[in-house]
This record gives sequence, C-alpha cells and structure tokens, in this order.
Amino acid sequence: MMQHPTLELTALLDGSLPEGERAELEAHLAACGGCRAERDRLAATLALLGALPPAPAPSPTFEARFHARLAAERAAPSGSGRVLARLRAGFGWRTLAPGLAGVAAAAGVSLYVGHRHRADEAFLAEHLELFENFEAVSNVATVETPEDLQVVAHLDELQEGQP
Amino acid sequence: MSSDPDAALMLAFQGGDESAFRALFEKYGRAMVTFCHHFVRDPARAEELAQDVFLKLHRAAPRYVPTSRFKTYLYRIASNHCLNELRRGGPSLARGSAGDAEPLDPDTLEAGGATPEAVALGAALARDVQALLARLPEKQRAAFVLARLEGLPYEEIADVLETTVPAVKSLVHRATVAAADALAPYLVTRREVG
Repeated sequence: MMQHPTLELTALLDGSLPEGERAELEAHLAACGGCRAERDRLAATLALLGALPPAPAPSPTFEARFHARLAAERAAPSGSGRVLARLRAGFGWRTLAPGLAGVAAAAGVSLYVGHRHRADEAFLAEHLELFENFEAVSNVATVETPEDLQVVAHLDELQEGQP
Repeated sequence: MSSDPDAALMLAFQGGDESAFRALFEKYGRAMVTFCHHFVRDPARAEELAQDVFLKLHRAAPRYVPTSRFKTYLYRIASNHCLNELRRGGPSLARGSAGDAEPLDPDTLEAGGATPEAVALGAALARDVQALLARLPEKQRAAFVLARLEGLPYEEIADVLETTVPAVKSLVHRATVAAADALAPYLVTRREVG
C-alpha cells in the first residue's frame, strides 16, 4: 500500500493527476479513512473559496485614466530624462548599480545560451523595470546637470557591479 | 504561438497597430485589476497597479517574442509587479484571523443571494482569505492566487512563476492546507448546520 499521499490530494481535487496516479490514489482512499477525511476537508475548503464575493469592478474612469497616463508618458522627456530625474531625486544609482550590472550581464549572456527567445522573454518579464532603466541610462542624450555627468562618469562601475 | 490570437494582437501592436493594444487592454484590463486586488486589497491601488502592468506591456512591445501564451506572459509581468510592490511595503493585505467575525449561516453563501447575512459572510470570508494570503510565503501566495482565485491550470502557473509543475503542485497543496486550517471555523459551522 502506498504511503499517505497527502501531497496528491489537492492535485486530485484540481483534476491535475495523471490517470495512473489518480487510480492508485483512489484505491488508497477507499482503504484509508484518514486520507478520505483530509480529502473531504480540502474539498470543503475549495467549495468555500468558490463562494468568495467577486472583486469590485474597476471604476468608470479606469480606462480613461490609463490612457491619460500613457499619453503623459509619451509626452514626457525620454526614458533617460526620467531615470536621471529619479537618480537626482536620491533614488540612488548606487542602489541601482548592482541590479543594472546584473541585468547587463544577464542580457549579454542570454544572447548566447540555448532557448534564447524563451530565456529572453522570461528574463524580460521579471526584470522589465530594471531593463527599462538600463536602456534609459545607456541613452545619455539628456545630460543637464553635474550630477548627470557624475552618473555617466560612473557607468563603467555600474557595469562592473560596484556599489 | 501563432494560434494565440492575443499574441497576434501583441505582434500587431509591435508592428504599429495601436488598436491591437487597445483590444488587449479591453480584454484583460478588468482581469488585471482583479488580480492586483488579490494582492493589495485596495481598489484604487489595484487599479494603479493594473495600469502599471499595461504601461510595462506597452514599453515591452518592441522586445516581445511570443514563446508562450500571451496570457501567461501578461500574468508573469503582473505577478512580478505585485510581488515587487509588496516587497516595497506598499499598501498590503489586511491582517486579521479567521473567526474574528461571528460566522453567519453558511447556507446563505450557496444560495448566492444578496441578503444582508450573505453580504456580511462574504465580506468576512474575503477578509479572512486576505489575512491568510498575507501570512503565506511569496511563491505560495502567488500560486494560490493563480490557482484558486484566477483558475489557471498547474502548467500555466509553472510558466508564470518560472518553475516546474511538481513545484506548483507542492506550492498549491501547502497553500490549500493552510487555507483549510485558516478557514476551519467556517467549515465547522457548515458541518454543524449540515
């Protein structure tokens, strides 16, 4: 007889067990009252969760406000201007540096590894924000203050991952 | 992924068709608000986070390569954004414990009616589920939301969370057991009533 297969009970209820495993588990359940009780407890929990009230609908202005944000972003200075403004405001390129260096290194590596597209997509989704910042900082067309120059001067450190 | 109409829309947008992006927003905007609401429990903040997700999607379009379903890609962006938001300490999940409120007649849940009792019980249940989510480790929380509240199959959750199906099975199971423990007062009441 199999050990008490508690881990499989949820997958059974979710219909996510392969046929062979499902038959084996159901045979075990027929002979094991403890596992049946646990299955019933989990099933009752799933039924309870199914009774949760729906999340509130978005406000009527949700879509309009999104398009306003999008329009504002398009009308704003380039990404480099935004990032440099954040750096000036004390967000801290020193804080950002290791992450940006990691992004740069990983982006470079991802060009050469197998399954390139899949790795790129997963990486992009996870590090989208850092990627945007990196691209913006790399495009240093907007250099307006001595602080900006300092950032640019230390880009080599960003790439080396220095704090 | 050529059979995925949403990926086709994203590619059309990549090619300059703004109406394709609007179609994606119209299709998934509300779902994204709901998804983000599971994490922050603040309607205004959930809308802002959902908008952030679409702004990120908009910016990412030039680099988009459809290697998985578009929906999976979108949920991956949203999951990462919501978890990052929680790590930053933004408005988070309400704290509390199951049974703080007196459970009312659970039969009213199944009736689906909008009686005052049903509304009160639904609100108490929602609050207790959010308290549970706040206690779960990050990956369990994301897996629980995707499986239990969004209804994604294990394979898609594995894609979204960039992990394996066996790992998802374990995450979902542990979170479901935690839910059974946390919501035990409701289940006891149900048995007693039944």
